[in-house]
This record gives sequence, C-alpha cells and structure tokens, in this order.
Amino acid sequence: MKTWLCCCGAHWTSSGVMSEDANPAATPSPCQDIQGDGRWMSLHNRFVSDSKGKEPDVLFVGDSLVQLLHEFEVWRKLFSPLHALNFGVGGDATQHVLWRLVNGELDHISPKVVVLWVGTNNHGHTPEQICGGIMAIINVIHQKLPHAHTLVLGLLPRGKSPNPLRERNASVNALVQAEVASLSHVSFLDMDPGFILSDGSIAHQDMYDYLHLTPQAYQKVCQPLHERIKSLLDKHAP
Amino acid sequence: MSAEENPAAEPAPVIDVQGDGRWMSQECKDAEPDVLFVGDSMVQLMQQYEVWREVFSPLHALNFGIGGDTTCNVLWRLQNGELENIRPRVVVLWVGTNNHEHTADQVAGGILAIAQLVLSRLPRSKIIVLGLLPRGEFPNPLREKNAAVNNLLRASLPQLGPVQFIDVGGSFVHSDGAISSRDMFDFLHLTASAYRTISTTLHELLLQMLEEMPQERRASLV
Repeated sequence: MKTWLCCCGAHWTSSGVMSEDANPAATPSPCQDIQGDGRWMSLHNRFVSDSKGKEPDVLFVGDSLVQLLHEFEVWRKLFSPLHALNFGVGGDATQHVLWRLVNGELDHISPKVVVLWVGTNNHGHTPEQICGGIMAIINVIHQKLPHAHTLVLGLLPRGKSPNPLRERNASVNALVQAEVASLSHVSFLDMDPGFILSDGSIAHQDMYDYLHLTPQAYQKVCQPLHERIKSLLDKHAP
Repeated sequence: MSAEENPAAEPAPVIDVQGDGRWMSQECKDAEPDVLFVGDSMVQLMQQYEVWREVFSPLHALNFGIGGDTTCNVLWRLQNGELENIRPRVVVLWVGTNNHEHTADQVAGGILAIAQLVLSRLPRSKIIVLGLLPRGEFPNPLREKNAAVNNLLRASLPQLGPVQFIDVGGSFVHSDGAISSRDMFDFLHLTASAYRTISTTLHELLLQMLEEMPQERRASLV
C-alpha cells in the first residue's frame, strides 16, 4: 500500500488512515476495558445511537475537557443554543478519538463545525506523534464530512508548577498550528487565557486538580470559543 | 485483616507516572472545617457543582477528594499531613471504587483501616461512610464487587463506634438493570442532578450528627 510521509512524521495511506507501524497516536485504537464495566464502549455506542435522528450544527469531540464541559451551566448557556452535541470521553488520547470517529460517530450527522480538543492524555508520545494523531483525526473528519470546518483547540498547560507536560503540550500546539495554517477547512484556537501565573504556578481556582477546569475557568475559556464558533457558523451559511 | 495481609490497607502515595506532579500538589486549603470530605473523584467532583456551595459549604466543609485515589492513597494522605491542624467534627469518607487490584474483602478492610485511623487521630469525631455506587451502563462484575464491599461495611462498621454507613446508590439502577447517563454522565461519575439526589440524605444525616455533638471551644477564641 502506498504511503505518504507528512512533515509531522506521520504516514498516510490512500484511504487517509495512518499506517499502523508509523505512529501509535495516529493508529485508531479502542480503549481496552481493563476495569471491567465496559464504560468506554457504552459511551461510544451511546454516541453512535444518539447521533441518529439528531441534527447538530456543532459537534464537540475529545477527552475529559470536552466531556466535563457538558456537565456545567456554561454548556446550557453557550453551546446548547448552537445545537451542539458532545462526544467527549475522559481519558481519551488521539488514537481513541480516531477509532471512535472511524467507527460510527460521524456516520449519521452533518455538523457544520467540529470542535476537536484532544492530546493531553497521549502519555509516552512525542509532540510530533501527538500532532500526527490530531492531523489524522482532522483528515478523517474531512473525509466523512467534506463540508465541515474543524476547529482545533490548543492544549492547556497542566500541573501546579512548571513540568515537562507543559512543554510537551506547548510543542504540540506549535506543530498543529503550523500544520493547519495552509488548510482552509481547519483553524486553530489557543484556549489559554493566561492560566500560568507570574510565579509559574496554576491556581486551583482555575484547575481544581491542575488538569481539569473549574466552572469559572470554563466560563473564561468558553467566551472566545463561543464567538469563534458563531463566526464559523455564519460563514458556513449557504 | 492487618496491613501486612491486606494490600488495600497499605498506605501508598500516588506515583507520578504522567509527569506533572498533580497528586502531590493538591494540598490543605482552609482553616477550621466542621466537616471533612475525603475520598476519590466522587468527592472531588462534588465541589465543582452548585450543590457544594448551596448545601455543604454552609456546614464549613472541606473537600479532600482526589480523582483516581484508592484506599491506599487516602490512607497515605491522612497519615501524612491532611489531618494535621484540623479538627472536623464529622468526616465523610467515600472511597473504594478505584481499588481495581483488590478483592471486595480487601477493599472493605482498607475502608475500615481509614475509619480506624480517623478515630484514633480525631477521637471525638464521627464518621459517615458512603457506600460504593453501582457503575457501568449494564450489569457487570464491578457492580457485584461494589455491592459486596457495601455488605461487608454494613456489617463491620458499626462495631467501630461512632461510624454510620449510608448507601445512596439505590435509585440509580433501573428495572432493566441499566444506569442512565443522566445520572452518571460516563456511567461512573455523577451529574449535577444525581449529586442533588444523594445530597439530601447526606445533608440530613450531617445536620443530625452535628446537632448531637457539642461544639468544641476553639482555643484561639478564648
């Protein structure tokens, strides 16, 4: 099978899917049910069946930062009115989101905007691999929904004090931003309103466990996100 | 079951495999709580919803929940500083659903060990232990395990003294055996409305316990 090498180090096949040996972050993989209650697959199945008969204009997909957003007031105030669906799953890395999208979650809907927020859980992967995973997802979305615009959200800093994951996430953001610059159907939004304080710390009032956002922090980051989605929807109007 | 025999009663900090040191960073915040909540994400997430501000903050509650914690992690935290400098009158303990490596017997033993530790450090306090909730969309082994833990706790906790066990999971499993995502958005963690449901029972019990206990005179006020 012919493959193309992308500048992220990712290999593409003619079907658009990453070749297996190249990048684990870009190889569609379901989450293994280690715990024993099948929750990940339950969520995936629910998303697939939820999507039948619904006509969302906006689809949010990603990890717990997407999933938890749905549980707070900000979702009802800012995103429900935009007819948004939420396909976030806590713990998901890029390869898990990729698997979900390849296996049914995009098959019954045609949102105009897909908001993608994933990558912070890709432990053990390099920034290049994570970028490759995000690009693979963008590619699948474009194949399945050729008229949709994908809005990729930048990874947030994490941890109370400076640490390697902050650097990793910042590198991913720089790589992704560069990759999507030339694509008309994708744009990038930096979601960090300045969470890192002058002493290098992150406040627990913003991230209660130095990873997940408090309701107040969600309010801060969602305003610009809401504006950007609205303007993309306006541009999309036939 | 002693700590040597029960791995679930072996205090252990969380090892920072991800690389950002978040577990160790989550520290003591407020001054003089009357109620201390301690446990895993079931406790931690509660503080992010309105129900905390409306129902539990007025009781001067402090939240020491950390997502992912097992009985071992909670035991370690309580032995290593989290009970220093505070004298809550009631401790609410909710942990055990993350003890994947342990049997129901071991998990119950770990919870008992935590209760014993709290009583030894805070001899005048009372404890409320919340039962483990059912989890997963459909019947599965973890539901059986959590139910088994609850049965063991129901039998053994009263022997410790001022410890009450309450099971708030009754309403979540429907007649077809399914749990709704309206109650548990990921079939494990509670939604805002589910927290409201369980908070009523918990709040009533807390009020009752606090009323029964004479308020300690704070030395600093004299």
